[in-house]
Amino acid sequence: MNAIEVRDLNKSFGKVQAVAGLSFFARQGEVLSLLGPNGAGKSTTISMLSGLIEPDGGSAEIFGHSIRAEPQAAKARLGVVPQEIALYPDLTARENLIFWGKMYGLRGAALAKRVDAVLETIGLNGRQRDRVGTYSGGMKRRVNIGAALLHEPAVVIMDEPTVGIDPQSRRHILDHVKALNRAGATVLYTTHYMEEAAELSDHIAILDQGRVIAYGTHAELIAQSGGLARIDLTLNVEAERVLPAWRSVPGLAHLDVVDGHVTALVDDSNALLPRLFELATQAGARIMTVDIREPNLESVFLELTGKALRDEA
Amino acid sequence: MKVIDIAIKDLTQTMRSVFALGMMVAAPLLIIGLIYFAFGGAEGDAAETPPAVRVGLVNLDALPKDAPLEEALGKTIVGMFVDPSVAGWITTTEFADEAAARTAVAERRVGVAVIVPGGFTADVLAGRAAAVTLVSDPTLSVGPQMAEAMVRALLQGVAGGGIALETVQGRLHAAGQDPLTLDAGALMRDYATWYREVQRGLLHETEPAVLVWVAPTATGSGDGTLQRIIAQMAAGQMVFFAFYTGAYSMMSLLREDEEGTLARLFATPTGRIDILAGKLLAVMLTVIVQGLVLMTAAHFAFGVAWGQPAAVALALIGQVAAASGLGVLLIAFVKTTRQAGPVLGGGLTVLGMLGGLFSGAVTMPETFARLGDFTPQGWAMKAWMLALEGQPTGAVVTSCVVLVSLGIVFFSAGAWRIQRRYA
Repeated sequence: MNAIEVRDLNKSFGKVQAVAGLSFFARQGEVLSLLGPNGAGKSTTISMLSGLIEPDGGSAEIFGHSIRAEPQAAKARLGVVPQEIALYPDLTARENLIFWGKMYGLRGAALAKRVDAVLETIGLNGRQRDRVGTYSGGMKRRVNIGAALLHEPAVVIMDEPTVGIDPQSRRHILDHVKALNRAGATVLYTTHYMEEAAELSDHIAILDQGRVIAYGTHAELIAQSGGLARIDLTLNVEAERVLPAWRSVPGLAHLDVVDGHVTALVDDSNALLPRLFELATQAGARIMTVDIREPNLESVFLELTGKALRDEA
Repeated sequence: MKVIDIAIKDLTQTMRSVFALGMMVAAPLLIIGLIYFAFGGAEGDAAETPPAVRVGLVNLDALPKDAPLEEALGKTIVGMFVDPSVAGWITTTEFADEAAARTAVAERRVGVAVIVPGGFTADVLAGRAAAVTLVSDPTLSVGPQMAEAMVRALLQGVAGGGIALETVQGRLHAAGQDPLTLDAGALMRDYATWYREVQRGLLHETEPAVLVWVAPTATGSGDGTLQRIIAQMAAGQMVFFAFYTGAYSMMSLLREDEEGTLARLFATPTGRIDILAGKLLAVMLTVIVQGLVLMTAAHFAFGVAWGQPAAVALALIGQVAAASGLGVLLIAFVKTTRQAGPVLGGGLTVLGMLGGLFSGAVTMPETFARLGDFTPQGWAMKAWMLALEGQPTGAVVTSCVVLVSLGIVFFSAGAWRIQRRYA
């Protein structure tokens, strides 16, 4: 049985179709990332899986429990980490955790034990009696995650948990996701940072305009895109002077100019770059900057949609 | 169980909010206190035993020979201050000379010294300039003013006696009679006796018009009018702030929505009706605690007697039900906490005015008074008025039933709308 099974999910807000026939699944014990730019439908999908909003159509199941027919059973197996801090600032970290634990049905000694364990995990034992309102942003993030783990959920949903935080806290959260997964939890992780998706995921679903446009492991997706590297160049003259010559170079799959910056997708950057320099010199142009990115999810997205993942972010 | 958990969490948050506590308890008590003191509550038992005015007396005057008076004016002035009828609020000390009296004032042993110079009566009778000197403690105001008023009134009486004598003499002269045949001494004595009685009556009789300067207290006004006013004001404020607290506490729903914790709650296996019920329970407990605190404080601080316990309990139950229900209904129609401020403040103030919460003892026109029947605040006020009047429990039942019914209707309508909003 899959941990998460989503079939043909739809959701519109007025005339805007946020999710359009979305289907994907997550196997038990894996990390599945939903990767896509802002507006791709990631958060709407998470909201439907969490039972916050009703889908217009389609189905979604958590360990076989339909989010529409058996919402409480489905929710009991879910731990949701919202994108924004969702805690009570005038309660202490311990009081927050106790409250959220109770909302997941924990009581008495079992609750106290889990609260202690989570405080230990998130490294806030020493400040558990302080009100959350007095915490730094990173500490709040840790409590925010901890509140979703009290009932040891089989599926943890994390909605862009690293948005707007410092690199150290981001590292802490990524390590924590890995630890959760090692402990057996299935993790559904949404992000628009391809590095995070690449680092964490067993499988990645790339979303655009409310639907999955690619699905597979990191390696499969790279291969799916043809394994092309991306080269960004700037010239001291107008790009049009060298483009006709460059277009004829074998191994160059895609060439684009945006605001004077040239983007090329190539199968082997090492082999191709000397030829590009040579042709530029013949055309009386100088290449001023070069940025090489080996095949990654960014280039996959570019290949699939014709637009950059981060331009939309 | 989760309902109770949510209620306890909300109550904890409320009890940690200085603003919430201020609006729940401090603000109504402050307003009741201001009204109480404005009506003279600060004077404590002053109505029956006003603080004594300490007066120092120096009388160097003597009755001149052949004076048409029974006693020297100095003696009359002194007599006015030592009269037994003023012994309750004037204490006197006699001094041998002006210097001793001034020293007593400087040392604050007396608040004011009244100094009648030698030859004062002779000078007055001869029409010469004459003056009684008052020396007062500059830090005092009421005592010296009273002493001055008493002396001034008496001297005006003396001047009035002279005018009366001249008037009689003028009339005799006009009638062709010899004014010298008039027994001026007897006339002056009669006038002085009459005037003294008038003054005694004005200053010493405990008639309301004379005692207007004395601020009566809630417990000391004899017929209990002031006590009733304070009690009505206290009830009005309690009702107003109970409804405010009901709506303000329910605002936690909007705050949770804005801060993301409501969505997080919805993502847990907790029914939405449980969440709403938990919030309603927190509101009801808050309004109950608020009511009990205010009633206790008003009783001990301002002497408010709330009535028979059973009647009071019914009034409180009705108030809690209606305030909590209206809170749910109002919040159901408000989208943000920012909107909530003016909507709750304005709406509840208007309803409070229509409900007669601020009119106190003022008798409103019949039409206006009837408007109260269309507001929950009006019914709550009605219930409290009955309880305050010491009416039996049965008299409060109708108001209580109406309030509870309104509370159920308000809650049902509000819950329906909230369910739709968060569906």
